[in-house]
Amino acid sequence: MADKLPPIRRDWVSKSLAGFLLGAVLAFAASALFNVLSADLPMSVRGQLAMWLVPPVWLGALGGVYFFASGLRAWLWLGGASALLLGLLLALRLS
Amino acid sequence: MRTDFVRIYKSVHTWTGILTGMALFIAFYAGALTVFKEPLARWVAPPAEMRPVTLADAPQLIARTLAEHPDSARDFTLHLHDAEHLPARLGWQLRPADGDDHDESGVRHFAATLDEGGAVQVNEYRPSELPGFIDTLHRVVGLPFDTDPNRWVMGVVAALYALALISGVVVLLPSLVKDFFALRVGRNLKRMWLDAHNVVGIVSLPFHVVMALTAAVFAFHDGIYALQDQLLHDGKWGSAFQRPKPSAAAAQRDPAAMLTPQALVDKAMVFAPGFVPSMLQYQQVTGPRAVVRVWGKDEAAVSPRARGGFLAIDPYSGKVMSSDFLPGRQSTGNLVISSFFALHMAAFGGSAVQWMYFVLGLAGAWLFYSGNLLWVETRRRKQTREMPEAPVQRRDTRLMAAATVGVCLGCICGISLAMVGGKWLYALAGPAVDATRLLYYAAFFACIGWAFLVGAARSVVPLLWLACGLTLAIPLTSLSGALLPASGLWAHASWASLGVDLTALAGAVALAIMARVTARRIAAGRPDSVWSVPASTTAPVATANQS
Repeated sequence: MADKLPPIRRDWVSKSLAGFLLGAVLAFAASALFNVLSADLPMSVRGQLAMWLVPPVWLGALGGVYFFASGLRAWLWLGGASALLLGLLLALRLS
Repeated sequence: MRTDFVRIYKSVHTWTGILTGMALFIAFYAGALTVFKEPLARWVAPPAEMRPVTLADAPQLIARTLAEHPDSARDFTLHLHDAEHLPARLGWQLRPADGDDHDESGVRHFAATLDEGGAVQVNEYRPSELPGFIDTLHRVVGLPFDTDPNRWVMGVVAALYALALISGVVVLLPSLVKDFFALRVGRNLKRMWLDAHNVVGIVSLPFHVVMALTAAVFAFHDGIYALQDQLLHDGKWGSAFQRPKPSAAAAQRDPAAMLTPQALVDKAMVFAPGFVPSMLQYQQVTGPRAVVRVWGKDEAAVSPRARGGFLAIDPYSGKVMSSDFLPGRQSTGNLVISSFFALHMAAFGGSAVQWMYFVLGLAGAWLFYSGNLLWVETRRRKQTREMPEAPVQRRDTRLMAAATVGVCLGCICGISLAMVGGKWLYALAGPAVDATRLLYYAAFFACIGWAFLVGAARSVVPLLWLACGLTLAIPLTSLSGALLPASGLWAHASWASLGVDLTALAGAVALAIMARVTARRIAAGRPDSVWSVPASTTAPVATANQS
């Protein structure tokens, strides 16, 4: 049954770059979203928590990126997620 | 899980592991010792020569020190308890204006006491670099100084380490239930090492996840803050920690009007029962922003820093100014942030947790050592029945085995030599000479050089015995000091200091056992391995059909 699925492409360079670059975008966008959504916390606490949020998301993306079937899919999914987060941020900022 | 994923993540695990294994060994071995940084400082400190002052006389000591040494007013500390590494009750430090926050080398240390006549007596002293240096080794994976670029090296290592953890779990997951409780001790040595590597890795996984993420944060937080300041905070991040300006521009204040140290301690203990104060840090006491931080620990709570937490009190009115950093009294947000620090630094739960972290740290060091051994073993050229002689092993596996042996045992030898040598040099040459770094790197590079010169198999047993001997010299040095005080050596009788001696003794015994077991393995093992000594060129072919 397993051999009916398409093989997983290695795509080391493009997957790693997607995890590194888009992981950074995701991580900073997630920290920005946290910063907007927890505006009732004092700035010193909110800012520190936002900083602590960046490495887990970034390294999580970098570690999970090799599960994508190909480098192209990694770029599309992570890029889509980044666009979604950034769009949400923009909407929150405009509203 | 599809086997494709396992294969891909196995490559990730192999590469990230082999790139960082030896650096992480140093970080974890030195880090395990750093849990006991204060006992190490107490063990290595020479006997105090300054006259002790009671807490009741402390107000006099403070007033007169401030009068004669105004540069102490910015930030000085009053210690509530005696310890070997604190030469006097009152002390302060002067930092060079352009120095790095983490760089201790340019800091000048002063200690103040009162003589019999009640006059202030101030000594400038040089505390041993040893505890700080072991801490630095663990912060920057064996590099000599805790600077920004070195921390970035550590950050890259921590990021790769996080990838190694993720990939290691992915590789193990499909067979976790089958493999978890299996430690197949037997003739297949690689299987046994792999089982042990897996079980230690999975059991201490939460510890390692914490260490990887916090280490990455400690390395890169300046950069992340700077970027977030632009993206999130509109450049206002710097103002988040500014205290409000004092209402009245008060003139110079008279420190004689401050509450006594005992009164400040009592206030803190009434405010937070269970909190055990250890020292008072006075800041800018002659200015309008005077504050005293009552530092201490509460074993039932999370401490925001390795040395505990503090209650900020106005030393003139006794009013509590901030409990943001007081263990057990923090707001939820601050508690979450503090717990990240506490989870890295074992700053919760008292000495039981510290010992647990010590063991987990050493187990972590072993995890990276065993990972390198498995890398070597996987690339082994096996002797088949048709081969009359054992095949020559691959060059890269021979070099990796030598590097692993040299770096790991070199680090152990270097730290033990720096501890022992520091004490002997002080006894022989006085406080002017501090050769901590020199001794460490001399031993470290000598071990690596020798391992490459003669190969892993020939160097590993002598290096283990060397590490055993140097570590045994730690309690022997103290014993010499106790038996022969005329030698200039010394031994402290506090439990903290004796604990260092006893732990070193246990470490020496463990290293001796490893040396004996390794010697047996090399003598009796198969010849087709980087761990065999090919001196016995008449290796019996009969061993080939053993497995």
